[in-house]
This record gives sequence, C-alpha cells and structure tokens, in this order.
Amino acid sequence: MIIAERKPLNEIMDMLKGVSRLLVLGCRGCVAICSAGGDKEVEILASAIRLGCKKQGMGMEIDTDTYIRQCDPEYIEPLKERGRQYDAVLSMACGVGVNFIADLCPGVRVLPGLNTSFYGANLSSGEWKEMCAGCGACVLHLTGGLCPVARCAKRLSNGPCGGSVGGRCEIDPNVSCVWFAIHSKMQQMNRADDLMEIMPIRDWRTAGHGGPRSRRREDLLS
Amino acid sequence: MSNRITAFCCNYTLSASEAALKKEGLIPEGVTLRPLPCTGRLEIKDLLNAFVEGAEAVVVVGCEKDACHNLKGSVRAEKRVKHVKGMLKELGMSPDLIEMHFAPRKASEPLIRAVEEMSQRLKG
Ligand code: SF4
Repeated sequence: MIIAERKPLNEIMDMLKGVSRLLVLGCRGCVAICSAGGDKEVEILASAIRLGCKKQGMGMEIDTDTYIRQCDPEYIEPLKERGRQYDAVLSMACGVGVNFIADLCPGVRVLPGLNTSFYGANLSSGEWKEMCAGCGACVLHLTGGLCPVARCAKRLSNGPCGGSVGGRCEIDPNVSCVWFAIHSKMQQMNRADDLMEIMPIRDWRTAGHGGPRSRRREDLLS
Repeated sequence: MSNRITAFCCNYTLSASEAALKKEGLIPEGVTLRPLPCTGRLEIKDLLNAFVEGAEAVVVVGCEKDACHNLKGSVRAEKRVKHVKGMLKELGMSPDLIEMHFAPRKASEPLIRAVEEMSQRLKG
C-alpha cells in the first residue's frame, strides 16, 4: 500500500494562512490503513489545527469528512460543488488524491496534509517498510522475490556492491543488504546459479524517467 | 482564578469526586477532573480538544504501569501523551503543558500532586 505521514503542523499552519473556511478531507484507502489519513487522523488533525488557530488568534471554521477513495472520480464528484464553499480543502490522501482533486475540481483550492512516502508493507503495528518502487519493470522472478530497485540503496541490478558487510548495507549497519538477502534466498531454493546471469542495463523509462506514466486498457474503457 | 487544568484519570485511580477534592481545598478551582473507565480510552484527539476547550495544561493520571486494571491502558495513554507533546512542539507550544502520571489504586495524593506540579509549572 501507499505509506504516508502527516506533514509537520507548523508547515500545515503556514499553508492555512488566510483560510477562514476549511475542509479537512480524509481517504479510507491506503492512508487510512497506514494510520495517516483515515477518519481518526482527520479528527486529530482538525483538533490540532483548531489548537493552532487558537494559539495564533486565527478564526477558522473547520469541517471534516472522509471519502472512500480520493483516487476514483465517482467518490470525489461531490467535491466539485462542495469544495467551492471552502477557502481550502486540506486533503489527507496521498499525492494521488491531491492531484486528482486539483485536476477534477476547478475552483477548489486543494492543499496536501500528508507527505506521501513510499509503497510499503506493514511490519507490525506502527512500523512500515519500503518493498516496491513501482518501477514498471518487475524483476522479482529473478531475485527470489526481493526487490533490488526498492531495497538496494544503489538500485543495483547485479549486486551486491563492495560495501556489503555481513549482510548489512554500507549506508547504515541497521539496514540489511538486499543483495545479500537475494543470494541467501536463491541458495535456499537451490537457484544460486541463476544469479550468474548478468541482468541487462535497466530501461528506466518505465520508472517515470520517460515522463509521467499512464495506462489504458481498451477492454475496460467506456 | 487558578490556572485552568484538565486532569484525566481513570475510575481506579480516583478516590473522591472533583467537588469533594475542591471542598477540601485539595485541588484548585480551575481544575476540571475528567474521570474515565480507563485512561487507555483517551484518544490523541481528546487530549488536544482539552486544550481547544480552554485548558492551559493537561495531566493524565493512570494506573501504575504493572498494575493497570485493563493491563495496558495507562501505557497506551502514556504513548498518546508523548505523541501530543510532539504535536504541541510542532505548534510552537511547550511540551511540558501535558504530563502523564501513574498512581496506585484509589490514592488521591498522586492526582493532587500532579495537579499541584502542573500549577507550579504554569506559574513558572
Ligand atoms: S550494500 Fe547491498 S543494499 Fe547496500 S548498496 Fe550495496 S548492494 Fe545495495
């Protein structure tokens, strides 16, 4: 899922200068699951903003709501009209939601309440880790299911580099070297020899280096 | 008028009502006592709202860590208090305006002391 975290409150308060009617808008998708932008976090942020306003002597009327998803047009449809009643809509969705509102709701000023961080897994309650970089050219079948694009600091296709020591990455001893893990995993599966084949140089266009990405499926288009 | 302090405590750490404690002069007039079934019920939002509703400072008094009636309620409350301290800092406020305390069952003294300590802090 997409992992995000709330922006620092001082940054949010700066964004809200001059706003007197605000809608704090959550999303029940990924950001609700990673406890960054669901119903509960919307109420917390609204309370924090009220307190910030009180401290700064700012008057602000704050409404709250949470949509099922901010990345599907049917769910943000009502915001086209409703959003105009506010000086700003503070979206607690990932950056996709903020962009989508900006694209689809003319006349609505949308602001980001979160920093969108990465695609990650939930290790335990309150702990997330990056597992996928969304590079558009998955090589996990060659690497024992472990992603060198997301999990290697150098994004190496043929690792490890010379900095791998005792299974740890040279950037930080607390970070495991994914290439060490890939070799161990492949050995466990008696497939270590597969790694002798050099992976070709990656074409990074699918990773966004060729400009913004999009996808169309003719069979689904209306 | 004494400082406005909201004191959250659980039913297990409270031995007398707000009115009784005030009548005895054990807590100042400006204190609002908010008993809960368990301090683990306190959400971050509740702590922030206490400030929004006018408290100058907040104290939370829960069961001793290893003797919480609901096992982990007071430990959960402690984590949320810590989180709110961070939020106060982000808003340019002092993190010392909120504090967590742990108290044995049915002992009023720790609550009275917590309130007293916070009053002193506010007078600073
Ligand atoms: S030590 Fe391992 S994870 Fe770190 S940069 Fe080198 S190959 Fe990548």
